[in-house]
Amino acid sequence: MNFEPDENQSAVLDGLEQLVSSLGIEPPKHPTVQAFSDRLDSELAASGFLGIAREEEFSLLDAALLVERLARLPLSAEAAASALIGPLFPADEVPRPIALARGTPFAPARFLVQARSLLVDAGDQLLHVAVEPEHVAPVDSLFAYPYGRIESLEGLRVRELDPRILPDLRRRWRLAIAVESAGLMQAAIDTVLAHVKTRKQFGRALGSFQVVQHRLAIAATTAEATKWLAFRAAWSDDAADCALAATYAQDAIPTLCYDLHQFCGAMGLTLEFDLHLWTYRLKALLGELGGSSGQAAAASAAAWPEG
Amino acid sequence: MAVQLDDFRADARAWLTDNVPAHDAPLDGPQSRAFVLEWQRRMYEGGWAGLTWSKDFGGRDLSVAEQIVWFEEYARAGAPSTHNASFVGVNHAGPTLIACANDAQKAFHLPKILKGEAIWCQGFSEPGAGSDLAALRCAGRIEGDEIVVDGQKIWSSYADVADYQELLIRTEPGSQRHKGLSWVICPMDAPGITVRPIATMAGPAKFCEVFYDGVRLKIADAVVGGIGNGWQTAMATLGFERGTASLALQIGMVDKVERLVRDCNDAMLAPVIADLRADAAALKAMSYSFATSCERGTPGPEGSMIRLYFAELSKRVAAAAIDLYGLASPKLAGAHGWAYDYLDAFSETIAGGTAEIQRNIIGERMLGLPRAR
Repeated sequence: MNFEPDENQSAVLDGLEQLVSSLGIEPPKHPTVQAFSDRLDSELAASGFLGIAREEEFSLLDAALLVERLARLPLSAEAAASALIGPLFPADEVPRPIALARGTPFAPARFLVQARSLLVDAGDQLLHVAVEPEHVAPVDSLFAYPYGRIESLEGLRVRELDPRILPDLRRRWRLAIAVESAGLMQAAIDTVLAHVKTRKQFGRALGSFQVVQHRLAIAATTAEATKWLAFRAAWSDDAADCALAATYAQDAIPTLCYDLHQFCGAMGLTLEFDLHLWTYRLKALLGELGGSSGQAAAASAAAWPEG
Repeated sequence: MAVQLDDFRADARAWLTDNVPAHDAPLDGPQSRAFVLEWQRRMYEGGWAGLTWSKDFGGRDLSVAEQIVWFEEYARAGAPSTHNASFVGVNHAGPTLIACANDAQKAFHLPKILKGEAIWCQGFSEPGAGSDLAALRCAGRIEGDEIVVDGQKIWSSYADVADYQELLIRTEPGSQRHKGLSWVICPMDAPGITVRPIATMAGPAKFCEVFYDGVRLKIADAVVGGIGNGWQTAMATLGFERGTASLALQIGMVDKVERLVRDCNDAMLAPVIADLRADAAALKAMSYSFATSCERGTPGPEGSMIRLYFAELSKRVAAAAIDLYGLASPKLAGAHGWAYDYLDAFSETIAGGTAEIQRNIIGERMLGLPRAR
């Protein structure tokens, strides 16, 4: 077993690093609950990074490494669905950016404001809606990602895709939740570590208190476990692995977010402190695709297929 | 007594049915002030404000049992959350004045709070003095019969719409820690005060930073509990804040959990929500016992148990709601949806002393354990 990036992976991650650095992605200067970067999104698409899982010399795991790295940035782009779910379909059949909805096409969906495709897991049907911006109403949200909603399908092209792809879509969606969560968790922890090393109370750095150290140690362990479970799921692309990775991530998010904010005190509850740029997104992922109970049900179904 | 309480409950229910506002309360800004003052005024005129406060100050001199019945009916009727711009005045500034102020201060301020004529805010925390409150530096220089205040406070909820502030300052130059402090009443329209609202991650800009530049206060009007005795007065304030101030919210939490129980149709979530129901029942039992035990007195360190339990439970209830309803649900959206609750719940383990401080208090003052620091 090799847990170090191979030559290809290192090259991809270095390339991504250069792109991100050239774009100068910084936290928003003014307090905001939205943290989407059009520029990052379009540059990622133009550079071809989001399509690497389609290429022979790369793998789904390589795409997962990219998504995890991108999630650590203070601004978001539609990367996880494009990089991990898009390759399930022939090139150009589902143009990016891709939004995902469960149950109905009318549910609020992340990135729908920017999306050209909406994939709808409608239970026993898989729908593709060719999104046109004038048909999308932005949805006010406290969850950092841009959310939108389609109010009517009239005038939109809706295709029914092969429903046999549905299990693949759900598997990759779970993978996307886990991989993105891993990157968000790490960036949030890094922000808090910087704070508790410098912020002093009772004449000492907050990080010198044992109770703070212990809970941050737990948070760091959780983030590490989330990451390796997610990468394992990307490597195997197995339904049970993906469900377990998403269950673990979504189960861990509430405690991790609460602890991280707790150690930043009231400052950590404001939009003037950057922590929310990652924890808002974690909270959005917390409820996705049925939440942790939904993923646990999928993990159970994979473990005991006879029911 | 039981029959009297039944009658009281019926009266409360009838009044609430006729009077609960049809619209949700605004969460910040001047509109939040107008809303809570109007609602407080309506409760006062209906005879439902200051139930346990003395009749001398506009209250009704009733028992904690009646207060509990009122809050139960209040939650049942879906009345506006008490966690609003009137929270400080009604729930800990007012009780502190009752416990520590002189007669003139009580006579002037307490009826205003009950009648919906004044909003209060708190000025305790500073940028360098959060959990470590005794490190505060905001200075009050005594000049004749006045105190001149210079410095800064932060996390003063609703300071931008408040009339008065419970302000903790250092009035003895060179004093350290808990000594040399004074608890003063600061009119928020005094010359030299600048207020800056801060946007929170839950949405409302209700936290504020307050700057004091040569703010002059009359000692006779302002000082509560005596110059230099500010720490003792502040402990009374925190006793109320941690102990009984959130009783209505605790009872409301039981009601919220019951809503989850009614709406749960997910076999995987059912055990989680059943656990929450048991926890909410435990909270209710503890908080009723505690509130009754400190009837007419200042709550002691036992309040930290209630505060800690309620804060942790608030977070778990809001997280379970996100799981139950999913992000697409209309029950999550809007200023009073579960999503707001979820984000707002983060402040529960920070405000009024962090969960870590509450654990320290329980360990040191209730269990008699050695100090950890």
